[in-house]
Amino acid sequence: MSSVANESTTATGSPAATEGAPRRILLAKTALDGHWRGISVVARALRDGGFQVILGGMSTGTEIVRAAIDEDVDLVGLNVGGHVEVAERIIGELRAARADLPIFAGGIIAPWAAKRLKALGVEVFPPGSQLDEIVACARRLTGTEPVSG
Amino acid sequence: MHSHDQRPPAYRSASGIELKASYGPEDIPVEHARILGAAPGQPPFHRGGFAQGYRTKPWRIFQLSGFGKPEDENERIKFLLRNGETGFLMEHDRNTADHLYNVDHPDVVARKEDVGLTGAVMQSVRETELCLADLPIESTFGHAGGAVVQHAPFALAAYWTVAKRRGIPLAQLFGTGQSDFFLTYLGCVTKQQVPTAPGLRLNADIIEFCSEHLPKWVPVSIAGYNGGDTGLNAWQELGAVMANAVEYLDEVKRRGRMDMTLAAQRVGGVNFRTTMEIFEDAAKLRAARKMWHKLLTERYGVTDERALRMRIHIVTSGAYMQYQQPFNNIVRGTLMALTAVLGGTQSLGVSGYDEAISIPSEHAHQMAVRIQQILEHETNIPAVTDPLGGSYYVEALTAELERRAWEFVDQLLAQGGFLATLDSGWLHTRARENQESQAIAEARGERKIVGVNCFKEDITPWEVDGFPPVTDAYPVALERLNAVRRERHETAATAAMRDLAATCRDPERNIMPVMMQAVDAEVTIGEIGDIFRQAWGDWQTPKLV
Repeated sequence: MSSVANESTTATGSPAATEGAPRRILLAKTALDGHWRGISVVARALRDGGFQVILGGMSTGTEIVRAAIDEDVDLVGLNVGGHVEVAERIIGELRAARADLPIFAGGIIAPWAAKRLKALGVEVFPPGSQLDEIVACARRLTGTEPVSG
Repeated sequence: MHSHDQRPPAYRSASGIELKASYGPEDIPVEHARILGAAPGQPPFHRGGFAQGYRTKPWRIFQLSGFGKPEDENERIKFLLRNGETGFLMEHDRNTADHLYNVDHPDVVARKEDVGLTGAVMQSVRETELCLADLPIESTFGHAGGAVVQHAPFALAAYWTVAKRRGIPLAQLFGTGQSDFFLTYLGCVTKQQVPTAPGLRLNADIIEFCSEHLPKWVPVSIAGYNGGDTGLNAWQELGAVMANAVEYLDEVKRRGRMDMTLAAQRVGGVNFRTTMEIFEDAAKLRAARKMWHKLLTERYGVTDERALRMRIHIVTSGAYMQYQQPFNNIVRGTLMALTAVLGGTQSLGVSGYDEAISIPSEHAHQMAVRIQQILEHETNIPAVTDPLGGSYYVEALTAELERRAWEFVDQLLAQGGFLATLDSGWLHTRARENQESQAIAEARGERKIVGVNCFKEDITPWEVDGFPPVTDAYPVALERLNAVRRERHETAATAAMRDLAATCRDPERNIMPVMMQAVDAEVTIGEIGDIFRQAWGDWQTPKLV
């Protein structure tokens, strides 16, 4: 869980669901709140969905931007465990560094806060979200949706 | 619990115990059948520690509460007491308290809007005084906060110092500070905290200090809840709590300064969770009391019955409270509270119906208290102790949980004990296995949650918006921190810090007397954290994923 909570770790799952190299997702926690159950389950589902998941732990905006660039990720997932303003500031920093990088968010996000994040173009997955919906969203945001037949 | 049924097992308890369609006398193991007739108040106490149960002592209504500035938290505590809460609980800001950082620590500044979100900021005793303003601490059971091991010495010393300044003798105080390993070493792992060995030393110091100066205080409270909500199932939670108690009691015994009967009494106030798994969780409380009796008599040779009665505090599971259709959580809170009462808890906190959205609003908090009051005053449940006793099903579950829990204790002890399995990450792996199987069961619809993965239609989907955060907690805390630095008697503070650092390096000295001095000299938590970190370094968080 250090890997979840504190340190950067790369974990590779099964081969990508689509052609080519697996897409890379950075999952990071915005708050100094080490509850790891949610992010652990989501990381597992994304890996099972063929993504490479990099766990950033409890990170500041600066740390998340650096990790997103250094790890050359295709998508950033923010585990929002605190005030939505912290997440908004991190989203601003990410957009300033890499405007094209898609972002989604999960965690204890009140409906009013979810509306604010959605207004910034960030998809929000509050508690009770279905894992397959999260994986489908990740595929959509990384352009790796399975070809419909 | 063998089944005569030839079909594959389709019905299981949440912890995986296979369930029959009905139970009879043959389902109760012989060893458990022998103690079935033991009345409440008689050993091994699975039926309850006290013959009269709730007739003479209703459970304590005891809600987690706190946010924002100390004044905000104080106001909420008063609100709860006015509404009938019978003990009160101080929550501390996670950013500062859990990490022993002041608000100007870079990791806090980077997310300053989070400050005060789930507890008030208390960096020095001045802020604790504000939080306790006008509260009747001489006559009310208080939780000083300090749920986190490395934070407990400061939180306790600050609470006790406020009492001293009011002229209340320490010996008169009753309350607790929890100081629990399950919280930040298993469930909600802080970014930086002391290793488990000095953590154990801190807890043993608190136990010894309380036995000398605060005989009515519950010095530590092992919180199985935090293990349960992280993923441990019922028998794992039970086993881990017992193995944790072994760590404390072995350490106190090794030191040889305290009578083991007294030590057992000090450590015997324990916390579990209840979930929607009504009968298994009620049985869990019964099994816990029986196991406690066995552990204390067999491993430590304790014979005094007062020390053999485990006292239980229950918090209803936050993880079982849902984001979708949140008013359904009032029903869930009621059922989980009912479970706690049927299991014979001494103390109870009910999660707010907005638990999955925010910290409790005033209304959610009031509902949590009302749920308990309705159970106490309208149902007539308190009239009879251990109402589930003698149920073939519940007795069979009690015995089976106990059997599995002892196996789990053996597994933990074989690896060097509870703390060793936190250090190695073994316990986290057990929790994660259950998190994942539960997530899979929910995704497949095998585990149904109303409003979440079935019956999702709701006429008012956003009816609860949660409690809005306080916006000035950070600037006010920063101002107060700077005021303390400006105004305190610097020579006294420096001397206290030097003494604290020396005490950290000397395991023969108890940390609490010098912590009391440091707090009185207005040493701040950030400074205390720096001293701890310099003396002991950081816990190496185990790798998991």
